[in-house]
Amino acid sequence: MRVTNLVKTYHLGRVDVPVLRGVSMSVSAGEFVAILGASGSGKSTLLHLLGGLDRPDKPLTGTIEFEGRTLHEFGSSELDRYRNEDVGFVFQFYHLLPELTVMENVLLGPMIRYGRLGYMARAGALKKEAESLLTTVGLGHRLKHRPAELSGGERQRVAIARALINQPKLLLADEPTGNLDHVTGGKILDMLMEIRRQRNQTMVVVTHDEETAKRADRVIRLMDGRVVEG
Amino acid sequence: MYQALLTRRYLFSKIMPLLAALAVLLCTAMVLVTWSVMGGFLNMLIGTGRTLTGDVAIAWPTTGFRHYEDLIKRLEADPMVAAAAPMIETPGMINLPDGRTEWIMVRGIDGPSFAKVTEYADILWWKRLNKPLPKDEKGEDIRLLDEFFGTPWEDRYQAGLNLERYNPRTGRVEAAAVLGIEVSKYNQRELGGFYTPYAPTKRNPDGTSQTERVFMPDSGQVTLNVLPTDVTGKGVETATAVMPVANEFQSGLYEADNKVAFIRLDALQKMLRMSPYTSAAAPQRSGPEDFATASETEVVQVPGRVTHVLVKGKGNEADAKELKKAVERVYAEFAAAHKGDVPTLDQIGRQIKTWREQNAMFIGAVEKETALVMFLFSMISLVAVVLILAIFWSMVAEKTKDIGILRAMGASKLGVAWVWIRYGLVIGVVGGLLGGLTAFAIVHNINPIHEWMGKALDIQIWDPRVYYFTTIPNKVNGTHAAIVMIGFVLASGVGALVPALRAAMLHPVRALRFE
Repeated sequence: MRVTNLVKTYHLGRVDVPVLRGVSMSVSAGEFVAILGASGSGKSTLLHLLGGLDRPDKPLTGTIEFEGRTLHEFGSSELDRYRNEDVGFVFQFYHLLPELTVMENVLLGPMIRYGRLGYMARAGALKKEAESLLTTVGLGHRLKHRPAELSGGERQRVAIARALINQPKLLLADEPTGNLDHVTGGKILDMLMEIRRQRNQTMVVVTHDEETAKRADRVIRLMDGRVVEG
Repeated sequence: MYQALLTRRYLFSKIMPLLAALAVLLCTAMVLVTWSVMGGFLNMLIGTGRTLTGDVAIAWPTTGFRHYEDLIKRLEADPMVAAAAPMIETPGMINLPDGRTEWIMVRGIDGPSFAKVTEYADILWWKRLNKPLPKDEKGEDIRLLDEFFGTPWEDRYQAGLNLERYNPRTGRVEAAAVLGIEVSKYNQRELGGFYTPYAPTKRNPDGTSQTERVFMPDSGQVTLNVLPTDVTGKGVETATAVMPVANEFQSGLYEADNKVAFIRLDALQKMLRMSPYTSAAAPQRSGPEDFATASETEVVQVPGRVTHVLVKGKGNEADAKELKKAVERVYAEFAAAHKGDVPTLDQIGRQIKTWREQNAMFIGAVEKETALVMFLFSMISLVAVVLILAIFWSMVAEKTKDIGILRAMGASKLGVAWVWIRYGLVIGVVGGLLGGLTAFAIVHNINPIHEWMGKALDIQIWDPRVYYFTTIPNKVNGTHAAIVMIGFVLASGVGALVPALRAAMLHPVRALRFE
């Protein structure tokens, strides 16, 4: 993934708030990159742009290339497919659907990907895959539980399993330990490192925590919307 | 796939969608119950409009037309016609035993043939009943007795059918009248839907009053006044006749039951000078050579006249228009055969009417009332659409974060919109089906429910003293049910559409950051 001179400005009423002021960076396959920065530095916005949740300013200021394809050239359905197949998100506040069980939350990605008939044809294999992933993150015994019945650390593990079920090329995590205590956060980070080792998973983790950043292959430090290191 | 899963989970995880389904249920049930009862009421009313008219009527009011026997013979020879009967209709005045005088419509009929064309035999009121009416729980209807005032009911029924009654004073069977049950005002309509005769009070010229012991079909007699006309329609002089009452009828059509008196056809023909008669007329001469016989006259039979011929078809109600065409065809042949002596088809054409055309004003009014009530209820039912819109709007707001999550996981805008539209449709289907079942249960049991309300709460909405029908219509029309249920499913979908589009247009990042 290559990012070149990316600019993003939010418009709050009549006031323009520049968030990213020309960010350039790259992430290689299998690499674990940490984006470090204080609150308001633009790191979450950068992650959203990398994941296709948001688009750069228009007229176009900066590009994001993924495997040679430019994201801003993607149509709406292509961008949906990119988010579903190529990217997996892990959020600070887990963002699980409260009405669904652990298993159903994890299977949501394949349901969106394959549609009704495609999913039903693969249901058996996909359920096995989801169960295996949940066992890997230590939740094999809580498949039918609802998110409300889980602790914060358990919820984040479900979110990680959900992000990985479609075998994305890029895992994007936004403060994955930010809402957890130190011990639990450490365990989550260990788990991400283990997954990365097993799958050679490319990961971009946004954090404000120096300890988390230290475990990355490379750290990109953001300040006031600009890359100051990395 | 995920839409189905989310719809299922959202439906049972919150109280709001269940309230929305309840709103749809109530609206569906309300509209369907109204339609069923009002529609049933309309059908019953329309049915009553047919009881006294047959399927098609040929009318030439006031003066009437001759050779009606020939017309009836020709009509009954037509394969589409089951029977035909003559009738005279004329306005008149009736003087009742208590001294009151009322304007009424006098109809002269031949009982047996009239009964073949109309429901006359069924609507005669005073006849033996084997079991009480549905609402006559105590069996208070006097028709359940073997006899009343010493006369068996069968005698009164036959007297009504033939419009004649034995007069003990003269020792003869005389032409008699059959009055609408409401004409005399001596019959009290009870809650059970039956009538109890009561003694009227007669006011004397000196200011005193006295109670008359009279049961109309037994000792009642009325004075009828009609205005005969000549063949040009000019009034001649009032004709008066005193007639005993043979029976009374209840057609279910208040206008008829309150304002019609039947008498025997020949009696009315006589009063109106429409009876057949023999006349002396100069013979037609072909030339001056007949001069020798110029003073001779010929005896001519002038046939009687009637103002109407009523026709009953062999087919069902839907065939009335075809029957009308057949009647017009037969009438054209009849008019040609009696050229100059009866109105031509062109003259009488507009007076040949199906029973629906004869009752068009009345049926149209009831249909419009039903449509108005349906319209008002449908307007009220828009509440369901707005309610679903409001509930879904609030649910979309509540589920904004879920929408952001779905979008982050690659769900398309259309896919997200479909979650909510589908959700609305499911609520419509659940509410609509349960509403349909509720309506069916209510309509099917509306009479027991109404009776219970009467006993427990002293509420009589459908009072047989006001309405002619003793029971409330209790049939749900399958097509109506389908229309209402599908309508509410679609309405629910429409109600969910705007919130669904709002959900689809939510920016994923803003949705994820929504608190």
